[in-house]
Amino acid sequence: MAKRVLIVDDEPRYLRLLEANLRTEGYEVTTAQDGVQALEVFSAQPIDLVLLDVMMPRLDGFGVCQRLREFSNVPIVILTARGEEQDRVRGLDLGADDYLVKPFSATELLARVRAVLRRAQPPADTGQARFFTHNDLKIDFARAEVWVGEEAVSLSATEYRLLLQFAHNIGKILTSEDLLTSVWGAEYKNDKEILWVSIARLRQKLEEDAHNPHHIVTRSGLGYLMPPIEA
Amino acid sequence: MDSKTLSELHDIFQDVQDKQDWKAALDTLFGSLRGDFVFDNVVIYLVDPKTKGLDVAYARAVGRGKTAEADVAWGEVFANDVIAKEKMLLKDPVPGAEEADRLNQAYLLGFPLQIGAKLQGAIVFVRFGGPDYSEKHIQLASLQAFWTMALIERRALQEARAELDSVQRQMRLQDDFVSTISHELRTPLGFIKGYSTSLLRQDTSWDEPTQREFLTIIDEEADRLTKLIEDMLESARLQSKTLQFKFTPIRLDALVRDIAQRVTTHHPDLQVAFDVHELRPIRGDGLRLSQVFENLFSNAIKYAPGSKLTISMQGVGDKIKVSFADKGEGIRDDYLPFLFERFYRVPGDRTVTGTGLGLYICKQIIMAHHGKIWVESVLDEGTTFYIELPSDLTL
Repeated sequence: MAKRVLIVDDEPRYLRLLEANLRTEGYEVTTAQDGVQALEVFSAQPIDLVLLDVMMPRLDGFGVCQRLREFSNVPIVILTARGEEQDRVRGLDLGADDYLVKPFSATELLARVRAVLRRAQPPADTGQARFFTHNDLKIDFARAEVWVGEEAVSLSATEYRLLLQFAHNIGKILTSEDLLTSVWGAEYKNDKEILWVSIARLRQKLEEDAHNPHHIVTRSGLGYLMPPIEA
Repeated sequence: MDSKTLSELHDIFQDVQDKQDWKAALDTLFGSLRGDFVFDNVVIYLVDPKTKGLDVAYARAVGRGKTAEADVAWGEVFANDVIAKEKMLLKDPVPGAEEADRLNQAYLLGFPLQIGAKLQGAIVFVRFGGPDYSEKHIQLASLQAFWTMALIERRALQEARAELDSVQRQMRLQDDFVSTISHELRTPLGFIKGYSTSLLRQDTSWDEPTQREFLTIIDEEADRLTKLIEDMLESARLQSKTLQFKFTPIRLDALVRDIAQRVTTHHPDLQVAFDVHELRPIRGDGLRLSQVFENLFSNAIKYAPGSKLTISMQGVGDKIKVSFADKGEGIRDDYLPFLFERFYRVPGDRTVTGTGLGLYICKQIIMAHHGKIWVESVLDEGTTFYIELPSDLTL
């Protein structure tokens, strides 16, 4: 079935640009002109991906991102005209999966959309056990659910994929390049910022104390690992 | 020191410190101690950091010889002497000079003014016709010299702080400007990049109407970029006041009618009504004033499409008042205060292209004519721009 993309931008010419290009790739497209309208449209129909402009009247892109993350793990790509680091980090911090800095090329846009949708797909069944546990952390692979103790944890598609890398490679140090390539795709290999923010978010959700993590540990200068559980 | 003297000194200190301006502080200082230390003139010379010559930074003639020329004449050579020797000097009048003319009998007392590590000038007291300076007088004068140094240092500090504040303000403005500019430039650039790379895609083909549509957008956005750059340069020149105005006598009604005629040839449906009363000529720059009215016409066409325009001009006292009214949908009250700000655009429909500089430029031009421009608007009824310009009563 065709994926449905929601585009949110107050500039009609951006809506037209994004819509025209996405349609050539077989995506269904729904548009919204401001943040409030975006939330209304989102709750009215199933959406597979949100392309979200930052500077908008009524409710800006950061606000929409924050609201969406309260109840949805839908992949979000932030479109920002301000390429400054703090804006990109802020979007990722609020749970966006990726960002695209204006001006961007049509092919770059389509590549990012493909990459984000690829990440959002549930990973193929590897014939492994259904459950994975790491102290108080539990993953149900079949239902793509994560628990810490008795509490269900809501992870974005990207965060879930990142967690799986660690669960599948327990005790092994994974470099930033490894993680970026396997979770985000080869074109993100050097985008360390996006990894740092995602690891930090994952720790916020999984660790009792994010500054003293037990599930995802940093090995300075080498990478990250999920340490083996001591017998 | 007895308690009466101490209390007097304390009061003088307080009075001097209270004066924000350094010259006022010096006036207070010399005035307060004059009872105990009588002199006719005092002059402070400071070394000009550029020319290395001496400048009179402060001079007070309180006794005999109350002329500025006298001050400089009797003091400068002596001050140079004090600075060269870097110590306190006393100079009695040359014996045998005309005893009758007391102004030629200058008894001079000078101290070098050392501020920080640098010798920066000298303070010179003069008594015409004596008497000699006593030990006590020299001590009092020395005290005043020290005090003067502190006050000059305070002035330097105040100036440095004011300069720092102004530089910081400029830098903040510059930062805001750069960030707004880069955002404004990125918008049309984003469309040009996006639509041209769409057309360049090799994995898809666009039908002919879509190709035309995209190319039209690229063309329009390139024009918008050009206009944005022109407006930016214009507004920068207006702001830095480097734009030259050529003032000539102008009949404003003729100027505006000309523009209206030009505009209506491009927009034949546009209706413009004029209402002109008792109009005197003004002095203005015709080119720049045309720019203002062209801008108002172009705004009205963009933001109040289909509306009739009413332009009235009337001489009121020594001024000309112009109103430029449309019957469009109006502008919300809370947006009005920002209308003339650089890069401000009323939020909402972005199908209308603009740079946010037009009205800012209008305001700068009107202000250069010593006039005023403002706006009133009622939602669903329309918007009126008002311009007031001084009429030229000599014409």
